[in-house]
Amino acid sequence: MSKRPVGGPVSDLVLSLADCKQLLGLRYAEWCSATPTLEADIAAAAMGLDDLGHSRVLAGCLSELGEDPRGPERESDPAAYRNVAFLDDTWTEWEQFVAANAILDTAFTVMIESLAEGEFEVLRTRLRKMLAEERYHFLHGRSWLNEMGMSEAVEQAWREAVEWFGPDGGELRKRLAGKLERPEPKLKIDWSKWDPIRRRTKSGAIDKHTFDMLRGLEEQRYGITGAETPARG
Amino acid sequence: MTMTRVHRSVREYDVFARKARVDPLHHVGRVVAPDDDLAQAYARATYDEERWVEMVIVPREAVITVTAPGDE
Repeated sequence: MSKRPVGGPVSDLVLSLADCKQLLGLRYAEWCSATPTLEADIAAAAMGLDDLGHSRVLAGCLSELGEDPRGPERESDPAAYRNVAFLDDTWTEWEQFVAANAILDTAFTVMIESLAEGEFEVLRTRLRKMLAEERYHFLHGRSWLNEMGMSEAVEQAWREAVEWFGPDGGELRKRLAGKLERPEPKLKIDWSKWDPIRRRTKSGAIDKHTFDMLRGLEEQRYGITGAETPARG
Repeated sequence: MTMTRVHRSVREYDVFARKARVDPLHHVGRVVAPDDDLAQAYARATYDEERWVEMVIVPREAVITVTAPGDE
């Protein structure tokens, strides 16, 4: 495998990974009272917290990787977020959760392993702890995938994982299929539509509610302003 | 139990953990899961109240009772 990630400077890739992890964490959290079992509810909450933390660590690496690719457009354009399309919208079916957990989360881990073995010191040192936590995400995702089998959601997630690896991601694709102990499904990908910054072929972006939440606007709806703070005592 | 409707079959696991190497493992709780993988993920997520140095799970069916409450 080449040491330099495909698709542009490493900071572009790390930002995409950070955005994917942030959205994945939020989507997990949305399901923390809606999974089929109480244990999976708790796991969804724990994995959501893990991935939000991973996103912060990854974003914190950007300053040491050269020019920060985050621009002012992230305040106004949801398409400035570099997440895979699977995370654009809230999942309505448990199959989507399982597909993201088993396929996408593992794909991100495969990339993190690659970066942790790579030439950038900040990534070599800071990404190790993530891999320890991701082991539980993998066990959770693989077990539920084995329970439920292949589905349309799994195939879509796998397609988006392959797109996210990029046109030169052959070795990463092999690692993903190897970890999941399943052959990659037959995928037809039109690489002429691939956006090397967002690492996807689909247009579209995260929904407005999520975008407002990322910018802190949703929280303001429920916040208490100084003038309205009720007197205590 | 809801779990049996979701999974074809489930097992009970006892969860043991310790905070320091000098401590003995002690029982911290139980999880119910269809396989060892999910049981590990559930044990880690459910019993994360401490920074454990070690956590293990044991299938309840592997436990052999030597003495029990009420035994003379």
